[in-house]
Amino acid sequence: MIQERKPLASPLLVLREEFDDWAILFNPDTGDSFGLNPVSVFIFKHLDGTSTLHDIMQKLCLECQDTPDDAEQYVQVFIDDLVERGFAGYEIGVGS
Amino acid sequence: MDNGHSHTMMVMKTPKSVDLSITNNCNLRCSYCYHFTSESESGSDLSTDEWLCFFEELNKCAVMDVTIAGGEPFLRGDLKELIEGVVRNRMRFSILSNGTLITDEMAAFISATGRCNSVQISIDGSFPGSHDAFRGEGNFAKAVAGLKHLQNHHIPVTVRVTIHRHNVNDLEAIARFLFDELKLPGFSTNAASYAGLCRSFADEVQLTVDERSLAMETLLRLNKQYEGRIVAQAGPLAEAHHWLEMEAARLEKREPMTDCGYLRSCGGVFSKMAVRADGEMVPCSQMSHIELGRINRDDLGEVWRNHPELIRLRDRRDISLGEFDSCKECEYLPYCRGNCPAMAYTIVGDENHPSPDACLRLFLEAGGRLPEPA
Repeated sequence: MIQERKPLASPLLVLREEFDDWAILFNPDTGDSFGLNPVSVFIFKHLDGTSTLHDIMQKLCLECQDTPDDAEQYVQVFIDDLVERGFAGYEIGVGS
Repeated sequence: MDNGHSHTMMVMKTPKSVDLSITNNCNLRCSYCYHFTSESESGSDLSTDEWLCFFEELNKCAVMDVTIAGGEPFLRGDLKELIEGVVRNRMRFSILSNGTLITDEMAAFISATGRCNSVQISIDGSFPGSHDAFRGEGNFAKAVAGLKHLQNHHIPVTVRVTIHRHNVNDLEAIARFLFDELKLPGFSTNAASYAGLCRSFADEVQLTVDERSLAMETLLRLNKQYEGRIVAQAGPLAEAHHWLEMEAARLEKREPMTDCGYLRSCGGVFSKMAVRADGEMVPCSQMSHIELGRINRDDLGEVWRNHPELIRLRDRRDISLGEFDSCKECEYLPYCRGNCPAMAYTIVGDENHPSPDACLRLFLEAGGRLPEPA
């Protein structure tokens, strides 16, 4: 069931894209900001409530060369971290 | 001269911060106000709707912070509505104010937003006489009352002390007042500079060379006593730090310092810009004569990335100080960044020129003395 869940980024966060495809993820409620590398930016942009982890991985593999076999678990850790910080979530009742 | 550092600096896709002069009006007429009689004071204030529309563009551009200034921002009757617009568009804000109009109710509102980085209040004295000398009678008490309202609601308050001829002998008492009585964690200083109204009152307001030397000595001593809680980006304290470093480097014949030997003192045009009260985009509120386009008509990102005047100001960092007759023989050249471009414009009429206002060599030639290192 977890595989069916579709993560959704908090609309209150600001993704500030900078040069070289890096970005700053800014939380205006706390003033905290975090640097995201290009892969993280790609993932974050797909946390739109329509894509499962599997969907995101498929798109990521198309975008990146030589994706490691265990990439999916790292992407899941990244999403879990965002959820734990309150930066992303899952729609209540969907896949829960 | 090549100091080995790249001259190229990456420009962000959009500004990270924007300074907003939301009104030309002020309830005070401080003798050293940079706003009045400068190009910053132009046209009519924008309507509420025009600002709110612009905040939506700032949101799309992922601008993180705005600084709300004026004039006096608390004079605007729609200030709460404007702040709500800032919050709705995912930004944080700071406010620059004279403090005299801040009520308990307004402080409660600001606190409740949870988005306020700080409110900066101008306090120039430890008692009414030294503060009110150039700000008008009764305004010390009002500013302190406004500051206390902010503190009562746990809003981060900063104080800016502008040093002038009537408070240069009051600095110790000012530090005691701000630290011991008002319990502030720190405060910042600058000096009345040759801009705006100050140009008409320069002899009465601006520090003489001797007073400047005294201010540097006093501030260094106080900063040691208060463990570095006094900060400055310009004015006597900043000059004391920078000039002592330059003098030590010259005496020891050190290698050129990072970013020195070129006009690289200000990096503002790489991360922020400003908007005048009439809606004209400008590089900085102190360089309001350079008009870049109008908000809600011209695209902010396009202006930011491609306006020739912004590119010209960014390219300033490639101009060697050795190109200027006044600098090319100077022993301090390898340790100098040419100072503030806005002051350079005000004094010599060109931003891409070193500013004589914060020139160590000119200060010493005029009889100024450097303080002992703290």
